Amino acid sequence: MDSENRDRLSELVEELTTSGEPSLNTDKMKEVKKICRMSSQYIEQLYHLIMTQLNQEHAEIRLSAFHMVAELFSRSHDFRVLLVANMQEFLELTVETDADNPLPPPKEVAQKMKRLAIQTVQSWHATYGEAYKKLALAYHFLKQVKKVDFQDVEGRTLAERRRQEERQRRLQTVYKEKLDKAKSEMEETCADIEESLTEMHSCIELLLPDPDNFTMCNLEPGPSSGGASVSSGGPARSSSREDDTQPCCSQDLDKQTIHRTDSDDPDSKVEGDPDRSSFLRNSGVISHKYSLELNISTEVNVQESEDNEAVVNNIRDLHRLISTKHLPAVKSWIQVFTRAGGEEDLLRRALDLRQSLEGALEKYKTLHISQNRQRRVMCADESDDDFEEVPEREDFEPQVLDDLRAECGQEPLISSSASAVTRKPPVQTAAKQTPAIPGSSRAKRKAYDEEQDPTSAAATLRVLKQRLPTSVTDKCEASGSSTAPTKTSQAGEGQKAPVLPFGIDLYYWGKEQPTAGKIIKYSSQHQFWVPNEVEEEVVNEELSAQMKSRCITFAGRFQPVQHKCNAPMPNGALCDRQDRFKCPFHGKIIPRDELGRPTNKEDAERLEKEKMKLQEEQPDWRDPELMREIEAATGEDLGSSKTFGKGKKGSKGKGKKKKYPNLTDLKQSANTSRARLEKKVFNKSSMRRVTEVMNKMDRRKHEKFANQFNYALN
Amino acid sequence: MLSFLTARRIGVDDPLRLRRAESTRRVLSLELNHDRDVDRIHGNGVNTLDIEVIEGRYMLSGGADGVIVIYDLENNNKKPQYTCKAVGTVGRSSRHVHKFSVETVQWYPHDTGMFISSSFDKTMKVWDTETLKPAEVFHFEGNVYCHHMSPVARKHTLIAVGTKDPKVQLCDLKSGSRIHVLQGHRGEVLSVRWSPRYEHILATASADSRVRLWDVRRASGSLFTLDQHNGDKSKAATEAVNTAHNGRVNGLCFTADGLFLLTAGTDDRIRLWNSASGENTLVNYGKVANSSRTCLRLAVSRGCSPEFVFVPCGSSVAVYSLHTGDLVTMLRGHYNNVDCCEFHPDYQELYSGGKDCNILAWVPVLRQPDVEDDGTAAGKGGQQAAVNPAYVDAWSSDED
Repeated sequence: MDSENRDRLSELVEELTTSGEPSLNTDKMKEVKKICRMSSQYIEQLYHLIMTQLNQEHAEIRLSAFHMVAELFSRSHDFRVLLVANMQEFLELTVETDADNPLPPPKEVAQKMKRLAIQTVQSWHATYGEAYKKLALAYHFLKQVKKVDFQDVEGRTLAERRRQEERQRRLQTVYKEKLDKAKSEMEETCADIEESLTEMHSCIELLLPDPDNFTMCNLEPGPSSGGASVSSGGPARSSSREDDTQPCCSQDLDKQTIHRTDSDDPDSKVEGDPDRSSFLRNSGVISHKYSLELNISTEVNVQESEDNEAVVNNIRDLHRLISTKHLPAVKSWIQVFTRAGGEEDLLRRALDLRQSLEGALEKYKTLHISQNRQRRVMCADESDDDFEEVPEREDFEPQVLDDLRAECGQEPLISSSASAVTRKPPVQTAAKQTPAIPGSSRAKRKAYDEEQDPTSAAATLRVLKQRLPTSVTDKCEASGSSTAPTKTSQAGEGQKAPVLPFGIDLYYWGKEQPTAGKIIKYSSQHQFWVPNEVEEEVVNEELSAQMKSRCITFAGRFQPVQHKCNAPMPNGALCDRQDRFKCPFHGKIIPRDELGRPTNKEDAERLEKEKMKLQEEQPDWRDPELMREIEAATGEDLGSSKTFGKGKKGSKGKGKKKKYPNLTDLKQSANTSRARLEKKVFNKSSMRRVTEVMNKMDRRKHEKFANQFNYALN
Repeated sequence: MLSFLTARRIGVDDPLRLRRAESTRRVLSLELNHDRDVDRIHGNGVNTLDIEVIEGRYMLSGGADGVIVIYDLENNNKKPQYTCKAVGTVGRSSRHVHKFSVETVQWYPHDTGMFISSSFDKTMKVWDTETLKPAEVFHFEGNVYCHHMSPVARKHTLIAVGTKDPKVQLCDLKSGSRIHVLQGHRGEVLSVRWSPRYEHILATASADSRVRLWDVRRASGSLFTLDQHNGDKSKAATEAVNTAHNGRVNGLCFTADGLFLLTAGTDDRIRLWNSASGENTLVNYGKVANSSRTCLRLAVSRGCSPEFVFVPCGSSVAVYSLHTGDLVTMLRGHYNNVDCCEFHPDYQELYSGGKDCNILAWVPVLRQPDVEDDGTAAGKGGQQAAVNPAYVDAWSSDED
């Protein structure tokens, strides 16, 4: 018996059991076995060591200890004898035979150990049951009293199994109820869903006729296309089929082109011949040279218009109905059916329903129905005018029209002036003009972009438009865009000028004040006593200055503080206070680096000095050691660690080191919000406070009724 | 052993002495032996055991599920391995079975043709062993905790019954009726015992922590009450005067000669009293865990030179030396609380029953025959290997 070996053995056992790993380290285990082989005394010592570890209130330690037991049980007869003699305790600690003595946390590990222990006991019984009577007894005890089913891997006792069954049954009934409910619901609503589905389909059909139903003549836009106004979104919108913006064949364009010929556009000059108009009429193209790019995107955009309004409304309602009501319902049915099992055809039907509903929603999404409620409401009566192309005239005042439109709550038509400034080929102009089509968001954005560009005419127009309501006279003056900038600047100044309350200085603004600061002293009213020299008018300079000037308090503009205190705090963070000059906790605000250290040297020195001074000034009774002792004795926090422990802590290291870092920390789980709250609510001082208040209330009641004996008594 | 035998042979020693020495040795070597088994019949805890004194062959057991089983303890097959077979069972299927837990069973002291059982179903039944049918049923108002019939009585056939009622009932088998009550206790009577020496002396233990001794010929009251402080008033608090324990007294047992009385209480103590004077002998047995709510059955050895007492203590049976109070050994084998133990005086065997449904037989381990000196170590090893492969160490070679 070597003390060195003994020490090594206990060391090994501790290392092995506190490793926190699910299996043992084979090398260390080998060493243990090697030591144990030497003498049975080591085995006895090992047995006691392991039993101590098995008694630890930590499932991981116990599991590791159990692994060791299992290893040694198969090896050593002495160990078997020792363990079998204490089989009761062993079972209690590993299989949880005693209900008053449950397995310690963590739970999963404990469960694992229990399973493993039951299996191991079974295998032990198979091998050694004959030889060790108590082992056989243990097996029978587990089997017959604890009703452990050794085939059941879970290793549950009878009670647990029963509980599980009970729960299963309860769940089953719940599912059954749900199933019945879902079934009846499905029967009721199935027809509804199908109806809305067909409705949806027909609506989509109406809005977006199947390509097979198209005939070529239908390409010609017009009301014949089922009221659907479909525009394919692309940069060149020449293929758009809006009946109102017929860029190729409207007589408005004719005018435009005529006008264009007047301008010095080289392209249009080429075709000055008389049959140009006929060519135009035939082809819709002003010039032969144009190469027309059609960029037809596959996605469709359905725009709500007068004609399809009802359909679109309907489809929208249906969409809402399906996505909020039908689809969730179907999904919940599917869930119920899958969970409850059985009812396969119902499940299939529900799945079909879901598929078709989702398909319908998908289709709806591809339609890209753009919302244009406002237009519909506002301009329902004059929709025709809206889409009319405004012919370009040099002397025309577009602002009038703009004004009108602005009153309608719409953006102004910018086409005319835009074309006036930027001369472009008519087709492109036409393309450009399409943004004016109300309701198209893309057009809107484009217009907006143009407005943002200060060089464009649109920007100028916007400024003009802003001014329109303010002055009526501006309207006529603003016909030429040249006048606009001056007006704008004036308006800008006017906006800048402060608004002041009316005062006497304003009353005499720009005028001489004849009586300013003059005090007229009347001569004595006495009959015959007259002062010899009477100055009838006295000019008070102060007063006159007051009359002419105005006092405006200037407090300066508030500027929010940008910097932070940034002083390091005990919890490791930096102080977040944003005081202007001085932090109430950390003193004058000085520049600091990202770690909270002062960047200037003198600042650092000063701080250091202050700190030293503060520590020296600590009175005796605030000695941190003493305070910590008092805290330990009373259990109240006097703040020793908060203020003074800092320096100490730094020298001591990182406080208390965790003993076994590999084990699961059991206390960590206690750090829940509930536990923290409990710590706050049930701590001593707060409890005392509460009781104090309650006592006071009680006493008050007693005092109040002191002279009424039946109250005073209780 | 040999010296005892020689001394016996030449007549130096009292013949009893060898017997005593050998039984003491046997008791000291009691162990759970895999040679001896008892059939597992009970599906629930075993509350009570009784071995008949005439042949010492049959054992009764009463279970918490109301089942009563009769075992045959005699080993006739001439092999060390033996399983005590159940020769008769009053099972759950029987019409006459006790509805609730059987608390006490006892053989009729003079014949195995009859036994008596009492149960929590408020009845006490007198059974015919042959037919396993009750010959007589006594009904009581409360749960029957305990009954006892005097093993030495010739002049009376009284059964003392302790029930929930503080009055001790006396039932006469001759008339088949309850003939008498003994009044004096203030709590439920947990245990009753007749003296094995005087047929009219009865000891009763109650939940009011008192133990009274009665002479059943005198109906007016008990002879005396056992006092743990022996009348020393200064030690006892006023309410604790004349109490045997500071808790419920639930175990009661006379020594075989009837001179001493053992009591066990829920204050985790055992006390030994002089049964003639009622004096506390102040033997200190230490702390004996006892949390049983019902009767606890102690057993005292018979025919050993220092007598031993067997006390159920948690999941083990503690063996104490009777007069010194030393803990001799703990018999650990049960996996749940032990309720009762019964000593077989002829073979020095102990039977114990517990809540883990087992009845365990503690059998003296026979000394291994000494190996002759010329038997070498190799022969020893070979013998060991022959004993059982399970006893051999199995160190694998990979550890080296």
